[in-house]
Amino acid sequence: MWYEILKFELQYRKKRPATYLYFLILFMISFLAISTDTVRIGGGAGLVKENAPTTIAFMMVIISAFFMMITSAIMGVGVLRDFEFKTESMMFVNPISKKDYLLGRFLGSLIILIFAFSGSLFGFIMGEFMPWRDADKLLPFNLWNYLQPFLTLVIPNLIFSGIIFFILGALSRKMVVVYSSWIFLFVFYQVGVNMTSELEDQTIAAIIDPFALNTVQITTQYWTVAEQNSQVIPLSGNMLLNRIVWLAIGLVVAIIGYFSFSFNVVRNTWFKKKASKTKEVADTQITIPKAAMSFGLSTYLRQTRMLTLFYFRQVFKGVPFQAMVLCGIALMVVNSMYVGEVFGTYTYPTTYRMLELIGGFNLFFMIILVSYTGELIWKEREANINLIFDAMPMPDTISLVSKFFGLVLVYLVLLAVLIITGVAIQASNGYFNFEFGVYFSNLYTDTLFFLILYTLLALFVQVMVNNKFLGYALMVVFFVAMAALRSWGVEHTMFSFAAADLGTYSDMNGFGHYVPGFSWFNLYWFGLAILMFAISVVFAVRGSEAVMKVRWSVGKLRLTRPMITFAIASFMIFSLSGCYIFYNTNVLNAYQNSDESNADQARYEKTLKKYEYLAQPKIKDINMRVDLMPKQRDYLAEGVYLMRNEQDEPIKDIHIQLNPQPNFSYEYVRFDRESILKEEFEDFGYMIYELKEPLKPGDSINFEFKTMFETKGFEESGGSTNVVYNGTFFNNFDFPGIGYNSSVELGSDDDRDDNGLEPKDRQLPQDDPRGLAMNILGDDAIGGVGFEIVMSTDEDQIAIAPGYLQREWVEDGRKYFHYKMDVPMEPFFNIVSARYEVIRDKVTVEMDSSSQEIDLEIYYHAGHEYNLESMMTSMKKSFNYFGNAFSPYQYRQMRILEFPRYSSFAQSFANTVPFSEGIGFMLKIDDEDDVDVAFYVTAHELAHQWWAHQIIGANVQGSTMLIESLAQYSALMVMKAEYPQEHMQRFLKQELDRYLSGRSTEQKKELPLQYVENQAYIHYGKGAVNMFAFQDYIGEDSVNIALSRFIADWRDYDNNGRYPTSTDLLGYFRVVTPDSMQYLVSDLFEKIVLFENKTDLATYQEVGDQYVVSIDVSAKKFEADSIGNEIEVDLVDWVDIGIYTESSEGEDSLIYLQKHQIVESKTSIEVKVNALPSKAGVDPINKLIDRNPDDNVKSVSLAEELSS
Amino acid sequence: MELIIKNLSKTYGNGVHALKGIDLNIGTGMFGLLGPNGAGKSSLMRTIATLQEPDTGSITFGDIDVLTQKDDVRRLLGYLPQEFGVYPKVPADVLLDHLAVLKGISNRKERKALVEALLHKTNLWEARKKNLGGYSGGMKQRFGIAQALLSAPQLIIVDEPTAGLDPAERNRFLNLLSELGENTVVILSTHIVEDVKELCTDMAIINKGEVVLKGNPLETIDSIQGKVWTKTIDKAELESYKQEYVVISERLIAGKPEIHVYAESRPDDSFSDVQADLEDVYFSKIFGVQEIAALA
Repeated sequence: MWYEILKFELQYRKKRPATYLYFLILFMISFLAISTDTVRIGGGAGLVKENAPTTIAFMMVIISAFFMMITSAIMGVGVLRDFEFKTESMMFVNPISKKDYLLGRFLGSLIILIFAFSGSLFGFIMGEFMPWRDADKLLPFNLWNYLQPFLTLVIPNLIFSGIIFFILGALSRKMVVVYSSWIFLFVFYQVGVNMTSELEDQTIAAIIDPFALNTVQITTQYWTVAEQNSQVIPLSGNMLLNRIVWLAIGLVVAIIGYFSFSFNVVRNTWFKKKASKTKEVADTQITIPKAAMSFGLSTYLRQTRMLTLFYFRQVFKGVPFQAMVLCGIALMVVNSMYVGEVFGTYTYPTTYRMLELIGGFNLFFMIILVSYTGELIWKEREANINLIFDAMPMPDTISLVSKFFGLVLVYLVLLAVLIITGVAIQASNGYFNFEFGVYFSNLYTDTLFFLILYTLLALFVQVMVNNKFLGYALMVVFFVAMAALRSWGVEHTMFSFAAADLGTYSDMNGFGHYVPGFSWFNLYWFGLAILMFAISVVFAVRGSEAVMKVRWSVGKLRLTRPMITFAIASFMIFSLSGCYIFYNTNVLNAYQNSDESNADQARYEKTLKKYEYLAQPKIKDINMRVDLMPKQRDYLAEGVYLMRNEQDEPIKDIHIQLNPQPNFSYEYVRFDRESILKEEFEDFGYMIYELKEPLKPGDSINFEFKTMFETKGFEESGGSTNVVYNGTFFNNFDFPGIGYNSSVELGSDDDRDDNGLEPKDRQLPQDDPRGLAMNILGDDAIGGVGFEIVMSTDEDQIAIAPGYLQREWVEDGRKYFHYKMDVPMEPFFNIVSARYEVIRDKVTVEMDSSSQEIDLEIYYHAGHEYNLESMMTSMKKSFNYFGNAFSPYQYRQMRILEFPRYSSFAQSFANTVPFSEGIGFMLKIDDEDDVDVAFYVTAHELAHQWWAHQIIGANVQGSTMLIESLAQYSALMVMKAEYPQEHMQRFLKQELDRYLSGRSTEQKKELPLQYVENQAYIHYGKGAVNMFAFQDYIGEDSVNIALSRFIADWRDYDNNGRYPTSTDLLGYFRVVTPDSMQYLVSDLFEKIVLFENKTDLATYQEVGDQYVVSIDVSAKKFEADSIGNEIEVDLVDWVDIGIYTESSEGEDSLIYLQKHQIVESKTSIEVKVNALPSKAGVDPINKLIDRNPDDNVKSVSLAEELSS
Repeated sequence: MELIIKNLSKTYGNGVHALKGIDLNIGTGMFGLLGPNGAGKSSLMRTIATLQEPDTGSITFGDIDVLTQKDDVRRLLGYLPQEFGVYPKVPADVLLDHLAVLKGISNRKERKALVEALLHKTNLWEARKKNLGGYSGGMKQRFGIAQALLSAPQLIIVDEPTAGLDPAERNRFLNLLSELGENTVVILSTHIVEDVKELCTDMAIINKGEVVLKGNPLETIDSIQGKVWTKTIDKAELESYKQEYVVISERLIAGKPEIHVYAESRPDDSFSDVQADLEDVYFSKIFGVQEIAALA
């Protein structure tokens, strides 16, 4: 019998257009996602092929999870159709059993569901064969790569979620419950991801995800490019467990559901009890009293108010609405535990962080907005009260206006609820600086305006198409179209509906200069939205007819004079503000979309690349005068560069690169001797001057310029954050430079290919003399420059640049600062100005034969005092360590300068470190547990005073190892003196993770540390791990000796006549490395080496008052090539063996850590310890690069007394 | 005030020709609109109630052009659609008050008094706090009547108002209608002939979008008095009688068909004469019209 019902179900669905529509939607989305850039879902990067098995699996599983709406619709309809069409009575009287009914319906719906989702399978497969696909980015077709994820990921997901929706539908008999339950599932997934992302052991994270999205992610996170291109995700381990767990849960739900389902039509809980008969007879004697009717503005306002409140209540009281809001808030609370994470440390829950958190609610806002606009537009018609309502004597506008206001009221209240949630989160974290002004001015402008604009759009769509579901679909199409438009190069905010950027809020600079642009864009979109609203009013259906012709003929009657005036006025607002915006963004300022700007970059390269290595004089001395006008966001800069010809040949032409942006104007650009402007590339700001008398070798020349940077109106992108009201920070790249600037060149091979350029090497090889003659800051100078600057700014601000303060004074209400550096420095300087508080301290560094006093200053924003002490301590410890270990500090002062959080980094200039308010200053450091990131970042940046400002590598492969890896090492050594090893491990593991995940998304090729090409995951991540291992194996002192020798020999450019390379450094390393450890220099720096170390078994026996721990270790060592192909190599390595004991507080601490030489892939090691062992294992501190760092340590168990 | 409908025609998008040149003058008092399902009654009533646009023709109510001055009509209108729903989770008094505000009754006290009176009048007072979702069909219908009587309308359009009411409720409702002022135009559409006979001073029968008869119910009955004959026959004979005579109605009496036949004189002795009533007029117009036309 169930088979008959199944057959009926299939027959029925075969005729439903929805079945094919779902198939088509999934087909199109998948097709577009894999074969074009229009829709982006997951997808590989760089060397991972576009049809790599992992890429396909990822996309499929994402689609199966995020198109749960379709699952819920198909499964819900299967069980609810009888209730919706009120045919349940006819159905249930038939002699069918509950089992047959449910089973038949379920299986029938499931088959349809799988059919619909096979659209995605076919879409992907079809996509592969499209002629525009780039064969270089594709693997040969392999059907299994598509089928395997469909069978192991998609189908189990469909079965599980299908059961959930089917049972919920059967039990609740309400479609809304089914529809809204996917939101619950989504929230459950999200919460699971968030809660488990921090866990050391990712097994739980892999299992708890019902869609296996996270499971795929965790399984493949460290897969190399080669593995991603060749392997399907195996159905084993966590993946198998995940599938079994969730199918089992589905089965349990199905069984519970089966027994709870009642086959009766009438169920007391679902139907109201029969009304008790009232016997009252109508009081016919009553006369109906007269009531005056009034028509006029006050009546209309009263009607509007009443309807607004009515619609508001209708939305707010709805169960799905409340469920959605609760889910959103729950998600927010869970996310609040992970706010502003940096290296496992969290920031204070400042109001702007709360705003970021509230931003996570936007998805729910969009769902609420789209669905409830539809609901309200159809409110009367769905209740079938529309004819009564429409015959009421109220103006045509009132109904729509009230619906709109009702929704706005919903948003107002919701935003207030979100603010209360934010404040509650802050308070529960012990943070009481609630900035309500920031909450309100952000949410009740930016967010609210966005919601209002989209509501007006959705109302317009609903009214015009006059079909609720078509309206919903069109809104989704609209979102996709907006994204597609951007990917086709239509990027201007004037084409992106409701887009207006209030920018990043910064404690230092508030909303800064974003407000005018934001306001104008809003005015512009409001003009359009209100015009659409007026059109909606004209075309709104009132009465029983909805044919367009009739709506227009009725609509004409609504075109009253005020209505026409209103529509014209809103059109005028739209078009005039549009003109004003265009004038600002495209006339006053320059606007380019990304294709145009790429094309310009390409043209620059094509036209001027020939001058790249042209011999030019070198800057020896820089003298600047900069007048900042923070309120106007302008500045005036005058500069004199003293340049000398360091070549053997005379120089006739001097090439000057001016800043080509239109905000810059030049009063003069000249030399102190006669010259003519021989050639000018105006678009690029590139000028070639011919000197009347060529510059002889050893001769000097002054280059002088005066430039005005002017901020005009507002820009499309929100504008530059260089010069702002409070917190100006920019560097000398704004000012003229010498010759061709290769950093303008397009970097990505795809962009280069699009613009007809050959792929580009990221860096020159180490033997290229051109690279060796310049450092990575460029070739404008060699061996440093003299530097002097006079700056002026507003009277209440402090302006800072490298150098020592010579004098400060006030003149004409402006504050002046004169800084001068007394030793040569890199021609790399920052200009900073803000209203600062300052704390000052000193450190005296005692070295072997001398001592040095260093002034320490932190310039910070009032209220950001939290970590000043930690930064100060870090500065003291760092200077002490570096001064003793490497070389004396070349300056006598260090200043940390806070700048607004428009960027999140810290950067080291000579005796100056600008440090973003977004990192460090607002971190909440729990003294015991957290890695003190403020401490670490300070140490890292200070280390750059050595590794960038004392030693700077040649501009060839490996240069960033000399800068970043050495700074990482230096900071680690300062931390090592402060923290126990177990803490260091936590930090190192983060860096290991950064390296391992970084290499799986490599764009070109992975290189050994020695040849790193500015690849952050290598020079930071692997650099930290391997430098730590290196000092651990050969000794910190030996490494420091090597480094101090390296500095001594290479600090002066003239010593060697070139800049150093990483190979030079490795030479110093080899000298201090014993013969037995020489292999380590190769493994750590010259090759890509990975281990697979694992503890198979750890047991102990008590022998007297000692414990003998026996550890079975398996170890493997691999060498990888640039795309991750690995070959196993022989193992003759010294590896840590560690044993932990558990303290009375339940914390594990190491009682034994020694290196053992391991030569076999399976080894047993016995160690005697004095305390009861809790855990033991191989390489417990993760000093070696290991793709499964979690299986290194195991709990120790008591050995069996008698083993057979 | 007089409602004048001239040459009103309407064809729907699906080709259904709902109204074909309707001309009607409706004065104050009760006006009955009789016709079978699908005759165009509801289309006509919705058009008068400003909810639908005709293709051609005009409607005026006093000085008001119903088709263009919709708001002016709505201020005078009380309308009960044939089928309507309610917000299930709203109590009756709240929704009635809500509608009263929309009617333009701004004074809170007056509105309260009016709503209470109407709830009493429609026998919903006891159930006023109940959500409308729990109302029976009759209660819901009474609620519809209550809302149509808000604001002392001068033009009342009630589309099949007695459908779903039990006899007692029906009587009460008809009494209520008849109480309405002399100056009110009340259009009552129904397919229940009795309603019209009992209440209306004037009436029209429409069928297939056309007015087939206009006039005072009693006068129209008079017009066929003496021309309606009855006979009880066997089932098997029915078809042949239909061939031979203008059979305007048939019904079963104790299992045997009793037919009414329209004829200027008694067809034969087996027919007996019968007191014609409105129902005969109705059926003669609906079913017998072609034949009558042919005879005439």
